[in-house]
Formats: sequence, C-alpha cells, structure tokens
Amino acid sequence: MKYFDRLHPVSALAYFLSMLLIAMLTMHPVIISVCYLSGIIFCGMLTGYKNLLKSLAYSLPLTVIIAVTNPLFSHRGETILFFLNDNPVTQESILYGVFASLMLMSVFYWCKNYSAVMTSDKFIYLFGRIIPKLSLVLSLILAFIPKMKRKFREIDEAQKALGIYASKSYVDKIRSKMRVLSILLTDSLENSVETADSMRARGYGLKHRTSYALYRFGLSDGLFLAATLALAAADVVLIIFGASSFNFYPALSAVGFSALPCALYVCIALLGFMSFFAEVKENVLWRLLKSKI
Amino acid sequence: MKRNNINKIKTACVICVVFILIPLAVALGVWIFKDRKYNLISIIVAVLSCVPFFIRFERGKSGVRELTVIAVMTAFSVVGRLIFAPLPGFKPVTAVTVISGAALGPEAGFLVGSLTAVVSDFFFGQGPWTPFQMFSWGFLGFCSGLFFFKRKKPNLALLCLAGAVGGVAFSLLMDIWTTLSLDGTFLWTRYAANVASSLPFMAIYALSNVIFLLALSKPFLSKLDRIKTKYAIFSERK
Repeated sequence: MKYFDRLHPVSALAYFLSMLLIAMLTMHPVIISVCYLSGIIFCGMLTGYKNLLKSLAYSLPLTVIIAVTNPLFSHRGETILFFLNDNPVTQESILYGVFASLMLMSVFYWCKNYSAVMTSDKFIYLFGRIIPKLSLVLSLILAFIPKMKRKFREIDEAQKALGIYASKSYVDKIRSKMRVLSILLTDSLENSVETADSMRARGYGLKHRTSYALYRFGLSDGLFLAATLALAAADVVLIIFGASSFNFYPALSAVGFSALPCALYVCIALLGFMSFFAEVKENVLWRLLKSKI
Repeated sequence: MKRNNINKIKTACVICVVFILIPLAVALGVWIFKDRKYNLISIIVAVLSCVPFFIRFERGKSGVRELTVIAVMTAFSVVGRLIFAPLPGFKPVTAVTVISGAALGPEAGFLVGSLTAVVSDFFFGQGPWTPFQMFSWGFLGFCSGLFFFKRKKPNLALLCLAGAVGGVAFSLLMDIWTTLSLDGTFLWTRYAANVASSLPFMAIYALSNVIFLLALSKPFLSKLDRIKTKYAIFSERK
C-alpha cells in the first residue's frame, strides 16, 4: 500500500463511502460484477494475494450456498427448472441469489479495504474536530486496549502463581477467569482517574490548543477527491434516471447496451478500478526510481 | 446562563434535524428506489439513530474523569471480546454494557455499548453490520441505564433477566440485518429461517450474558460505586 497510505484521509473516506454506496444501490448484474471484481482485486493489492485467496476460500462457498438456498424462499420467476417438495425452483431465483450474494460479498470486500486503509489514527484525525469529546474517548480506548491486554496476562500469571486454575473443573476455570477480569477492572479504573487528572493538569480542553496533523491536503489528493465525487455523482444521477433498470422477476430482462447504461458501466468501472490503478502507478514509479539508484 | 440556553436550543435543533432526516431517508428509499433498497436505507437509519445520543454527549458537560471511566469500561468490554474470541457468541460485551448503564447512567451505557461495537470492529473487521451493532448494544446500555440507574441497588435477578432479554433482542436485531442484506427487501419467511438458524447463537448470547452478569455484576457495581463516590463523578444527574 503506497498510494493509499499517503492519500489524505478525506479523499480516501469519500472514495470508500461512494464505492459502498454504489455497491448497494442496484441489483444490476454488470454493476454488481464490476464492484465485486474491483473490490477483490484491490483487496489483493492491499492485503496480499495470498490472504485474498484464503478469504476467497471462505467467501466463495458462502456465495454458492446463498445462491442455492434462495429458491427455498422465493418461488417467483417464469423458467421452472424442477420441483422440490412441490415448490418450483426457478432459474430466475437462483440467479437472483447469485447476484444478491455477490452484492453482499462486494460490500464485504469494500469494507475490508476500508478497514485496511482507514486506520484508527486516520479516523480520529478526520473526526477529531467535529466530535472532539468522542474522538478523545475513542483514542483513549485504543490506548487502553493494548495496556489492558498486557495487564490481563500479568494478573493471570500472578494469580496462577498464587494457585488458581489448579483444579481441572470447568466451572472453576471460568470462575478464575472472572476473578482476573475483576482485578483488571479495579486496576484500570483507578489508573483511569489518574490519567484524567494528569490530562487536566496538562491543559486538556483549554482554548487555543493546537494539535499535530500528519496529513496535508495536496494537489493529488484534490484530484483524487474531485474524480471520486464526479464519478460517484454521475453514477447516482444515471441510476436515478433508470440506466440501471433490470428485473429478475418474473423473467430476466435483457442487459442494456444503449448509450445510458454503457455510460454508467464505464463510470462505475473507472471509479472501481481507479484505486487499483493509482496503486499500480505508484508501485511502478517506485520501482523506476529504485532502479535508477 | 444565557450561553447555556443557546447551547440547549442548538442541541434540540440538531436532534430535531435527525428526527426529520430519518423519515426523509425512508421516504427517499420509497421514492427513488421504489422501496427496494432496504439494506442501504436501514444502514443510514441505524447510523442516524445513534447521532442524537452522540450529540447529547458531545454537548453535555461531562468532565475528563467521566470520559476516562467511559473509555475504561469500553476498552474493558473490547478486551473481553478479544479474550473470549475463540468461543463464538460467548462474550462479555452485553454484560459490561448493562452494568455500565446501571452504574453510570443511560448516556454512558449507550456510549459504552456503541463504542465497543466500533472499536472491536477495528479488530474483527468493519462492515455494514457495524451500525446495527452500534445501535443494538448502545440501546441495550441506554435501557439498562433507564431501568437501573435511579435505583439504589440494582436487583441481581432483574439484571440477569435484562441480560437474557438483551441477548435475545440483540440476536433478533442482527437477524433483521442479515435478512435485509440478502434480499434488499424484507421477507418474513427468510427472517424466520434466519432466526431459526441463529437460535443456538441466541441461546449462547443469553446464557453467556447471564453467566457474566452473575459473576461480574456484584464486584463491578461495587467498584464503580466506589469510584463514583471517591472522585464524585457521574453523580450530579442522580
């Protein structure tokens, strides 16, 4: 991750939100396929293709299961394939299941990409000024979690040395865990008030305090944001004007290839694969620069 | 004094705007998408319904000490979820949320529940389910605060009942999301099937909540009470 690492959080957030919005907006097969493909390719780019294969090994069977079980709930559609317990299983409802689960998966993968890029520090940077108290609580929580995990292990070991966990009974084990949790809470609560007092002593919440910002909104961030907003707006307008109309029931309608739908496909493909190509471009540039040394 | 009033009016306005925005989102869903995009609209509604609570907290006058105690309770339930992650469905989040609501008030209960959802999904993966978890857990904490905060000493049996009901309600609410996300529309048959398939989880949720509440509520409540009296926090609303 080179390009998205340096991209300003505002641009990145706008990009992911518009991708998620469009992925959920229609049931049009072409659009869903584009969103799904761009989502998994970008996911591979961000998390490594090995990890992508691993997650596909879970998600593809799930997709198939949803597609196969949809006819159990929906008997609409004209093309009856066979009867199951006197209920018709139609081609339309199977295809609907396929694309419903692909839509679910594309939302899932775009959320995964969002999590990979929008780390908690970027999130707090974005919302720190709009919701100062909440983002302070959020950053406190994120600071407390690793501390608590460490503390939990310490208390656990100390208690073990004192002789809990000795019996093999399951109830005793749970009771010991609860005891450790209870000790952990006492310790954390007491420390938290100390944290609060030291924060106040250092002037938390005073006026005219500045904060360090790691990100600067540069030209390329602006271009990326503008491209995202323009493409997303175009998509939404085209969808509202019916460029994505497609019916599964009662019979599959034809996929439109006239001017409006085609423009929509192009816009969505551009938006979806924009992130991938930006990342590729940055990688190539990096290789070139390295080879010159 | 005057400034305080202006702030109050501002808060009221923002909350009113939210109450207008939610029906507007639903209306837009009916109008633009011909009532077929429940999944998208429901996510927007879930996010919007959390907003009034957050705004009230943001504009309220809770001090730094209150903030850190809320942060500790949230971090605690996230760590609990991480520790018990190997056991599916068995997590202390609801129990900690209910206890926080009972000891610290409805607002703190909502914050602990909803922030736990956000933060633990930083670890388990954010998804369209996050807003639903936020609202479900937050609302549980809020309700527990409403029921138990004013009383001197919360009844243990009632707390456990709340935990069990909370587990069932959480499961039912999350099943609504599963149903919506599969079809984009709401089918009662599909919902019934989803509820049936998640029955074991519902049982585990309810049972684990009761176990955690039985084991934790007494020590935790007394600890929180001690902190409250020692440092005089969360008290002015009592």
